[in-house]
Amino acid sequence: MTGLGYSLPAVLAVLTVCALELLVLHTGLFRRPAYWLSMLIVVGFQILVDGWLTKLSAPIVIYDDRQITGLRFPFDIPVEDFLFGFALVTGVLLLWERQRERR
Amino acid sequence: MDRWQYLLVLAACLAITLPLEMFGDGVYRQAWRVVRAVLPVTAIFLLWDEVAIAARVWTYNPAYVIGVNVPVRLPIEEVLFFVVIPVCALLTYSAVSTILGRFNRR
Repeated sequence: MTGLGYSLPAVLAVLTVCALELLVLHTGLFRRPAYWLSMLIVVGFQILVDGWLTKLSAPIVIYDDRQITGLRFPFDIPVEDFLFGFALVTGVLLLWERQRERR
Repeated sequence: MDRWQYLLVLAACLAITLPLEMFGDGVYRQAWRVVRAVLPVTAIFLLWDEVAIAARVWTYNPAYVIGVNVPVRLPIEEVLFFVVIPVCALLTYSAVSTILGRFNRR
């Protein structure tokens, strides 16, 4: 672990998405129980899919160990992937919600 | 056959979430809304992906991808990932919203 070429951008991506909602979009997504329940379901399936993609015995995605914290949980999933997934999914849901208000 | 692994994982994601379309207004039935929600986010993540691959932060195992790359170095599977996963998330959110909405109206 020297570069944190994945860990740092992953944290920044989460902060950016949260800032986008709280400072710019104000969709109210974070106050909707449906959002948090959906995220729980998404994380559940992420563990299955991502667990398959990152398993060290036969990895589909291979990470440079110097660019991640090295924390892998559950299975062999780098914890950074959960920040990455949160930012990706939340970003899309924010833009989806924004269009609800416009209609 | 192993080279199809990543594609098959993505296909399974689409197949499993497909029935969620029947809840509420659905997702596939609002194609334009999907495009406008997914495209900007996907564009940013694909750029991130390109940079990460170029910097060798992560790479893709040639044994499990079909070998078709999109400029510059993205496996086609990775581009599809950033469409498939957002669509699955939207289907989940749409279905959960519809179901919770039904409870609240009672």
